[in-house]
Amino acid sequence: MLRRIVHFFLIAVIFLPVAVLLILSFSEHWIFPDVLPENFHRQTWLRLFSTESELRQSLGLSIVVSLCVAFFSTLMGCILSRAVSTSRYKKYYISLAYLPYILSPVVLGVLWHYFAVVIGLNASFIGVVSAQFLICFPFGFIILSSFWTRHISNYEELSITLGSSEWFRFKKVIFPLAKPVLGLCFFQCFLISWFDYGLTQLIGGGQVKTLTLSVFNFINEANIFLAALASLLLVIPPMTLLFFNKKIILKRTLIH
Amino acid sequence: MRLELQNISKRFGQKPVLTAVDLELKDNQVMSILGKSGSGKTSLLKIIAGLEDADTGNIFLNETSIISQKPNTRHIVYLFQEALLFPHLNVFDNIAFGLQAQQLKAAEIDKRVKAILKEIDLSAHSSKFPQQLSGGEKQRVAFARAIIVQPQVLLLDEPFGALDVDTRETMQKLFLKLMKAYGIAALFVTHDLKEALLIGDQIAKIDKGYLKTYTSQSEFIQDAQSGVKEEIDFWMQIQQSK
Repeated sequence: MLRRIVHFFLIAVIFLPVAVLLILSFSEHWIFPDVLPENFHRQTWLRLFSTESELRQSLGLSIVVSLCVAFFSTLMGCILSRAVSTSRYKKYYISLAYLPYILSPVVLGVLWHYFAVVIGLNASFIGVVSAQFLICFPFGFIILSSFWTRHISNYEELSITLGSSEWFRFKKVIFPLAKPVLGLCFFQCFLISWFDYGLTQLIGGGQVKTLTLSVFNFINEANIFLAALASLLLVIPPMTLLFFNKKIILKRTLIH
Repeated sequence: MRLELQNISKRFGQKPVLTAVDLELKDNQVMSILGKSGSGKTSLLKIIAGLEDADTGNIFLNETSIISQKPNTRHIVYLFQEALLFPHLNVFDNIAFGLQAQQLKAAEIDKRVKAILKEIDLSAHSSKFPQQLSGGEKQRVAFARAIIVQPQVLLLDEPFGALDVDTRETMQKLFLKLMKAYGIAALFVTHDLKEALLIGDQIAKIDKGYLKTYTSQSEFIQDAQSGVKEEIDFWMQIQQSK
């Protein structure tokens, strides 16, 4: 019984804020002490589907930025962690990867901002992606470093002597074995990028309007209905990724 | 097939791992290499397979030097102590791995895998995944995966070390049967004296990087350093004390 109550409580804690946001996004007027809004309408949602919807553009931009950051961080993290996996200085490289987290992201952003201005990446899509990459890439490197163990190396050596080429080995052995950790890395980097505000604001200079920036803008404008809709949109992609990521991890657990 | 090692040496930093190793493995023969942990036996096998480089010396396969040849083209398969079956592939695909790497036709792969599955008595398990197999079954699949590519030489690094006594005996018999059936030469590394004598047509002993080969089993048994005499004395003492 207690287990059920705790279970119910946890579900409520997770989904109640989402429910409130959903109700707000369909509301016209909702003031205290009303339990529910007076009227419901679809105007806020219809704005999303209008041709010049700024919100839709922000959503699209956020997806593209986060996918780029997650993809390149995972790719580079994989390549670099593989390259240093047999080095006797491996643990020093991993320690080095923690450096960006010693600094506050804002301090790192200010430092990167100077270089972004010098090389002309300021207030641009590539500037924002590169700034977020600076945070996500070391994270990807750290996660993926744990994959290259002696066991994986044995698999590689065995498949070499069985006559496999480098590409065949990657396709048939390394990639399938690394898939869960690659998925996890991609997902985590996507999340870091998706919810980033400070770096995007600083490097993007207000020109690269991601969804997180839009949420803050709507809140500043006291437009709680649009802010609720933007917040909902902010939650949907991570939840979708979480669902797929969980499936991959569960599949991995069943295999072993 | 004739494998010959000439003056193979290897150091890790200042520490010598192998010193001037000479070895000759004849066609269809199995050579047992007896050695303790850290004696250099794994390094020796890895150098032959091309997975590690020797500091000096040369390796000849059928009179041709293979020392600078890539490991995936040497036709020498290395088997680890662990079965190392790919966890994401079923038994059939694990065995077919080497044939797929050689880009053989699907029908040919199918025919050869089914035939070897029958030989190792695992036909009913072809669609199972490694985690559904016992230790002995895993090792049988690992053997089949190695043998099916018809290597010139098979290198085995204590393959039965992790198995229980009964399974170990079954595997030793199966190993000898398959080696003879497929006519493959093998270097079989073990630290078990009895296993070395049972498996090997030729016997060698490695100690602190020095390899000593024996021309026959009787020469090995009579050698005071082989450890056989100590083993016999041990059992005699046990018998006498009872």
